[in-house]
Amino acid sequence: MKAVGARLPRYDGVGHATGRTVYVDDVRVNGMLHVKALRSPYHHAAIKRLDTSRAEQMPGVAAIVTHADVPLLVYGHLSALGIPADEPLLGKEDVRYKGQPIAVVAAEDTDAAQAAVDAIDIEFEELPALFDMRKAFDADAPQIHHWGTIYPHFEGEMNVRQIRKGNVEQAFEQADRIIQGVYRPAAIEQMPLETQVGLSVPEPDGRFTIYSCTQALYFSMGVVAAHLQMPLNKFKFVGGTVGGGFGGKVDTATETLCTLLAQKSGRPVKWRWTREEEFLCSSTRAPWHMEIIDGVTSDGWILGRKMLTLHDSGGYARFSPYGVTKHSFHHTGAYTIPNLHFDGYVCFTNRVPTSAMRGYGVTSVSFAVETHMSRIAEELGVDPYELRLKNANRIGDTSPNGIRYMDPSTVDVLHAIAGATDTELAAPYSDATREMRSGEWLPGHLVGQLSHSEDH
Amino acid sequence: MAIHTGRGIASIEYPTGMNQNGDPSQAWIKVKPDGRVDVFSGTSDIGNGSKTIQTQIVADTIGVPYDWVTYDNSNTDSSPVCTGTFASRATFVAGKAVLKAAQRVRERILEVAGQEMEISPEDLEIDDGEVMAKGAPTKKLSVGDVAAAATWGHGELITGTGAQLNPYAAISDPTTGEVDGVPHAAISYAACAAEVEVNDETGEVRVVNLTQAYDVGKAINPALVEGQIEGGAIMGLGLGVLEDSYPYYPSAEHRGADFGSYYNPSSADLPELHNIIIENPSADGPYGAKGIGEMSNNAQPAAIATAVYDAVGVWVTELPITPERVLRALDARDAGGGPRREGKHVIFDEELSINTVGTGKTWTAEV
Repeated sequence: MKAVGARLPRYDGVGHATGRTVYVDDVRVNGMLHVKALRSPYHHAAIKRLDTSRAEQMPGVAAIVTHADVPLLVYGHLSALGIPADEPLLGKEDVRYKGQPIAVVAAEDTDAAQAAVDAIDIEFEELPALFDMRKAFDADAPQIHHWGTIYPHFEGEMNVRQIRKGNVEQAFEQADRIIQGVYRPAAIEQMPLETQVGLSVPEPDGRFTIYSCTQALYFSMGVVAAHLQMPLNKFKFVGGTVGGGFGGKVDTATETLCTLLAQKSGRPVKWRWTREEEFLCSSTRAPWHMEIIDGVTSDGWILGRKMLTLHDSGGYARFSPYGVTKHSFHHTGAYTIPNLHFDGYVCFTNRVPTSAMRGYGVTSVSFAVETHMSRIAEELGVDPYELRLKNANRIGDTSPNGIRYMDPSTVDVLHAIAGATDTELAAPYSDATREMRSGEWLPGHLVGQLSHSEDH
Repeated sequence: MAIHTGRGIASIEYPTGMNQNGDPSQAWIKVKPDGRVDVFSGTSDIGNGSKTIQTQIVADTIGVPYDWVTYDNSNTDSSPVCTGTFASRATFVAGKAVLKAAQRVRERILEVAGQEMEISPEDLEIDDGEVMAKGAPTKKLSVGDVAAAATWGHGELITGTGAQLNPYAAISDPTTGEVDGVPHAAISYAACAAEVEVNDETGEVRVVNLTQAYDVGKAINPALVEGQIEGGAIMGLGLGVLEDSYPYYPSAEHRGADFGSYYNPSSADLPELHNIIIENPSADGPYGAKGIGEMSNNAQPAAIATAVYDAVGVWVTELPITPERVLRALDARDAGGGPRREGKHVIFDEELSINTVGTGKTWTAEV
């Protein structure tokens, strides 16, 4: 029997279903310490004083780590790509979201660790906060980030991710209708059953064995190695089986601090976030704000699109510039629009930093584009299938950044759901294919964008 | 009070692999003396099923039964680099790394078998754990015997490595977004038809049916593909009508901090699901596969929003489509609200626009 194409049961399904799979929290090591974190109670505040000396004397406390203990304090999710970093592993001069960690305590049990956290002497000065990304551009917006309220490090040190293609001005002049709408998907929780958890074990040979719930073993190992300024052979990451990860488990939320505490105490250190911490302190999907302006003909061709996207990054950048770039590459959805003017911004607010989550950068634009398509169909009185089949990506069409579509299936998937819902399509829409445009499928405005190259 | 039924569709695309590529995965495989196969890959399985998928790919590529293959992704000492399980890359990018490693192992098995059988390796094939002469299937040697011969006779280890790296596509012109290469490994496509019921007194939206079609290139494991389609559909339903980390947005207060105070889908919210798998093979993917993992929660929110309009005639373009938002939209409709029309311009949602809420930036049709 061939395995490929077969409905084989999940390789590790029996273990999951019978509770015998070993997850990070199932691993117990002799002498293991437990962690609690001092987190910011404010959305935005300056740290005026931080003194752990009293907490260090508390019973059961083995080690406390603050910003002063981290060899490389600021290392970003995109640092490996050479993109500047902004987020300290632990708050130093200021905190930019409620729940931001400032110090971590490793103690004999969680109660002792929490008592020591409560004994840390800290003084804040609360600062004005920003929550609505639409106000990030305002002259009187609170200054909440050392880079300003808008991320400034896209290529060419631009503060905007731009797409420009064709001539939108001309497309809007030629359009019969210009239809404008605003689309705002909310932040949602990652909500894995397994909260963020890590265990770092100092080995006699000077290495650390790190049990991790990461979605990306080598990425996370690189993050720990960078913060500790140590080579990769000092670490063995153990994992590969994750109790739910939808993007947030790339964050490497516990591994570095566990290892710093293990290094300082000489003992194994486990940190399992509580359910409340998982909800309130781990990264969420981002809120997005999108404004689409489309120039269309009466019979449903989309001639041009002007689009503004704001992405709420929360207090730090994390993966947000990557997410907005990916978003920009896909802002025409499953359709071919030859004239484009796109501006995308990463806006800082005082939310918990947002990060990658299933569909990163594109879930937002799929909602905006498709709801807008439905509105266009309704405004023009054009059948929603016909509007989509007309503008659907076909072989030889080019993407917003000029890449040839090799094997687009917009037509096939639309035909499939029409068939499954007993929706009758009229000719020529019932006979549409994904093959290269010609005849009635190739109106004048789409001629110039075609690519005949087989290269890509 | 009345329950109104509505339908809406959406059609989407989604890239496989990291945007702009440049995300390597590597694998290595060794064969035990009885022919059983050990795969070492660094791909975390987050529930996406990559352990199963990669094991299937290795079994067929070498030509041994599925249950001969052991898959180990447990640690970084034994497994090489995998950039990670995200960006819908595990089946395509990491799957291609194990496929390449398995091809090398197959070549090595054929070389050793060729010496044992005194037949040129090009004239041999492997199927179901047996090495056979092409056209003369009675001339055969089991892969176990080949591995034993390698171990005890030839003093060799049958092993193979593989790596997949789609080259990084840099943005060559940041003012236009032009790239200097292909910025994705493949693109997958999907469409969703949603049917909803809207209660015009309570504002509640109930999703009753999601009919969805996904082009995944090749379904390496159709049961796991359906799992992605259905799991993603429920996540998309949550995005569409239930979930919000900031229920009093833009305020960051009063967040849900446990399963009881955060509104997410449960089995009571399950609609009827109708899944269709389409296989338009990708040029480069393992067995023609493309990614499906992430896109499966992308199409539902728009299909649901459109179905709500179809049911009660209001566009709710802030997610989630809560009862409160539906009722406010119905009130606005009854008060004569709607888009502003000016010449050929039709302007929806002005109250939500940065033009209204902010003072530092405007966004209009003027270019």
